[in-house]
Amino acid sequence: MFTEGKQRSFLDSGVLARLGALPLMSRRPMLGQVSGRHASPHRGASVEFAEYRKYVPGDDLRRLDWRAYGRSDRFYIKEFEADTNLRCCVILDTSGSMDFGSVGISKLEYARRIAATLGYMAVQQGDAIGLTCVANGIVNSVPPRRNPAHLTHIFDVLEQVKPSGETKLDSILHELAETTRQRALIVILSDLFVEPEILRGCFEHLRFRKHDVAAFHLLDPEEIAFDFQRPTRFIDLEGGPAIFAEPSEIAERYQRALQSYLEDLKKVVLETGVDYRRVSIDTSFETVLTQFLVDRARGNAGR
Amino acid sequence: MSFLQPWLLIGLPLLLIPIIIHLINQWRYQTKKWGAMMFLLTANRMARGYAKIRQYLILAARMLAIATLIFAISRPLASGLLGFSGGKADTTIILLDRSPSMQERSEGGAESKLETARRQLRPSLKTVGSNRWVLIDGATQKPQEFDNVEDLFDSPATQASSATSDLPAMMQSAMEYLQNNKPGQTEIWICSDLRSADWNSDSSQWGAVRDAFSKLPQTVRFHLLAYPDAVEGNVAVRVTDVVRDQSQNGHDLLISLMLNRDEGRADAKNVPIQIEVNGSRSELPVELTGSSVEIKNHRVPIDQNQPRGWGRVSIPADSNNADNDFYFVFDLPPPRKTIVVGEDPDAIRPMELAASISPDPNVEAEVLTYTPEQAASMDWSDAGLILWQGRLPNEAVAKGLESFVKRGGSILFFPPTPSESGTLTGVGENSNPFAGIRWSNWKVEEKVMVENWRGDQDILAATRSGASLPVGQIELRGHATLSGERVSLASLSGGDPLLAKAVLQEVPSHEGGAYFFTASTSPKFSNIARSGVVLYIAIQRALDKGLLSLGNTRDLIAGAEDTQKEPWKKVAGPSEILSTEYAYQGGVYEGNERLISVNRSMTEDQKSTVEDTQLKELFRGLDLHRVESKAGSTSSIVREIWRIFLLCMIIAMIAEAALCIPKAFRPKGAMA
Repeated sequence: MFTEGKQRSFLDSGVLARLGALPLMSRRPMLGQVSGRHASPHRGASVEFAEYRKYVPGDDLRRLDWRAYGRSDRFYIKEFEADTNLRCCVILDTSGSMDFGSVGISKLEYARRIAATLGYMAVQQGDAIGLTCVANGIVNSVPPRRNPAHLTHIFDVLEQVKPSGETKLDSILHELAETTRQRALIVILSDLFVEPEILRGCFEHLRFRKHDVAAFHLLDPEEIAFDFQRPTRFIDLEGGPAIFAEPSEIAERYQRALQSYLEDLKKVVLETGVDYRRVSIDTSFETVLTQFLVDRARGNAGR
Repeated sequence: MSFLQPWLLIGLPLLLIPIIIHLINQWRYQTKKWGAMMFLLTANRMARGYAKIRQYLILAARMLAIATLIFAISRPLASGLLGFSGGKADTTIILLDRSPSMQERSEGGAESKLETARRQLRPSLKTVGSNRWVLIDGATQKPQEFDNVEDLFDSPATQASSATSDLPAMMQSAMEYLQNNKPGQTEIWICSDLRSADWNSDSSQWGAVRDAFSKLPQTVRFHLLAYPDAVEGNVAVRVTDVVRDQSQNGHDLLISLMLNRDEGRADAKNVPIQIEVNGSRSELPVELTGSSVEIKNHRVPIDQNQPRGWGRVSIPADSNNADNDFYFVFDLPPPRKTIVVGEDPDAIRPMELAASISPDPNVEAEVLTYTPEQAASMDWSDAGLILWQGRLPNEAVAKGLESFVKRGGSILFFPPTPSESGTLTGVGENSNPFAGIRWSNWKVEEKVMVENWRGDQDILAATRSGASLPVGQIELRGHATLSGERVSLASLSGGDPLLAKAVLQEVPSHEGGAYFFTASTSPKFSNIARSGVVLYIAIQRALDKGLLSLGNTRDLIAGAEDTQKEPWKKVAGPSEILSTEYAYQGGVYEGNERLISVNRSMTEDQKSTVEDTQLKELFRGLDLHRVESKAGSTSSIVREIWRIFLLCMIIAMIAEAALCIPKAFRPKGAMA
């Protein structure tokens, strides 16, 4: 699969090997182009019985259930579930705030690893993978493809992406909701520093377009704890004005604001059915992905 | 507020330490690149009033803790009596008023003003401290040095006395002490009940003392511990007159006495008066209806074989026991012997007449007349008065007369009769002086009147009822003039003296002295003889003064003068008083075979106090701090309160700790 043999800092072969046994499943029917392992909204030719329906002229007579006709003297068509592949669109936040990291790794680097691993797994199971890097606009966009060579292109883009600019996630998500074909798996990798009520509209838009939305909310432990001791001048990584603060004075209010934001966000993702994963970047990304994949495989993702 | 260690207050700038630390902390900030700015912005937008106030409160609590610590170690005092500067004085002088009025107790109280003052001052002065302790008590008015406060307040000179204090004299004594000893910073504590009688605020001495104090180079601060409150209902008893009466029925004492209480009281009060004469007691019930009642000539029989004796008048205990007793002594009056020396019969005749009429019909008056030439041989040992008309005596006779005056006798000098030409012979610079005074010359004038005279004291004083002597009716047609140092008792319209008294240091003022009448008693030169009243009264008063030294009894005002020249023996009076204090304590004493009664002065029965405005005027320009107290008060006038400051410091530290505790905000695990 890696014909060039190029080493990628964000790819860990051990992790890929360990996660290889876990499938990347969608929570709702996908609309793929080829047969795959994911449920489709259409009837197909799989071995899994779906339903009976009345015969209407024009139906293929080969699909008539003669036994049912014998029992009921009526024509019924026997239908089976269709299996298809999925289109996984990874939306990577590359705004300036993603450059922050106090545990030896930045949020963007952490997001790169998740994106690359998911992309590899998707291609492995025959699904298409696409990547959209966003900041104050769409920085880079790679449409979903399912061939392994495309994965190399994705990795190249991931490798070259630089954190800068403000977060304009809301408008971009609306745009992507419209431009991405229906029924895709949308994976958002971001610190989501947007008001939850604004995100609600984005998520509802994506849901309306029948996308399966998964969001990895990346947070640094220092952003959560805010345990500074000395007066600090905070410089905005996204280019906003700096703020001078006495931590002992502001910490309590910071925590209050953070808690309020997280609670609101939690409420929004529950109401919009987003598979929401709050991730502290000091947690191993393998653990996070394992949990993500297992939950999906069990069919309880998003709970 | 005062401090015992005020120099430690220079550490007060240390309370800026929290501010400086705060500023340094702000200055050494760190810079951090930060992603989650939206939470910081939200936190900044949140209401931060309380947080700011909390920061200021923490800063204030820290500063308060330091400030209270500095105040605590500066040993603050709970009284403003020391002024702001405080500190240990080099010399502390206590002017203690121990007059009878200071023995007044509050209603139902067991402690007098004087006892309260001693109890309050002792720990206070001990706390304040001083290198030298000096006591000037109201009775002796002499400075006494002590090593420590305990000795000072254990001294008999701080005990109650019957003597009226003389605050101007005490101030003068303090000032002289300071001038003589030249100490450093001096604190003068005046402890008094502000009675007008003690303060004598009209005295001209105040102005001189005030000026002297203001010119002293060292810092002198006055602290007045005042007990001006008077208790109503106190009754004072006083004997106004004691006359020995001899009648066919026997010998009696006619005692006149007076009861006094507050002005404006109209309720009736029965006062049983105990009269003790030579140890035998009788009781006289008196109903006191107004502010005072006077009993005239209450007759008490005495043993006719006992020519002299003593007595005491007492009333039951009340709020001031110091005015509940009055002592008196009695004796057969000495013969009223007068010696007249003169050369002009017209002039000496009125004198003889005035001296020969005794005011007491039971006592005969004797007048012996001599010429100046016979004066050397005359016997004046038992005479009370010498009336000398003519040239002043020669040196030998003058020496004898001076010893007569120093013994207590009285001499009235009248001028020589002028010649027809209006001149005097044997006068002038070359003539013999007496006590430094000479006759100068004779002024012939048509009519000279008396312009003013001393109606408050000495032999021309007003009568006991307050009526003035008719000195203004005297008309002169010539008078002699005087040269030499003297005290004028009456002045003529031209300014020349009519009556002057020689200044003799060793003669007590209440006894005799040398007087000079510049008018002739001859009818040719004045109407003194014709009107007669002034001459008679002046001669009889001079004779009374002269007889004081001859009688076997004396009535003295406590502390009026240092009269205890010879050792006294106590006959009656309060127990537990030292013999050196006899002259200042009411009682009956025996000294040099004389019975002496010592009593409080008449002014002690007056309850008026010095007004605040008067007090301010008396200490104008001086550093005076006043503290009010009252008899029986249990409060301390100076008390160390460093414990309160220490407590404040602890409270400030606890408050600071409480404010520093982070608010009980428990974030629900952010990763939940």
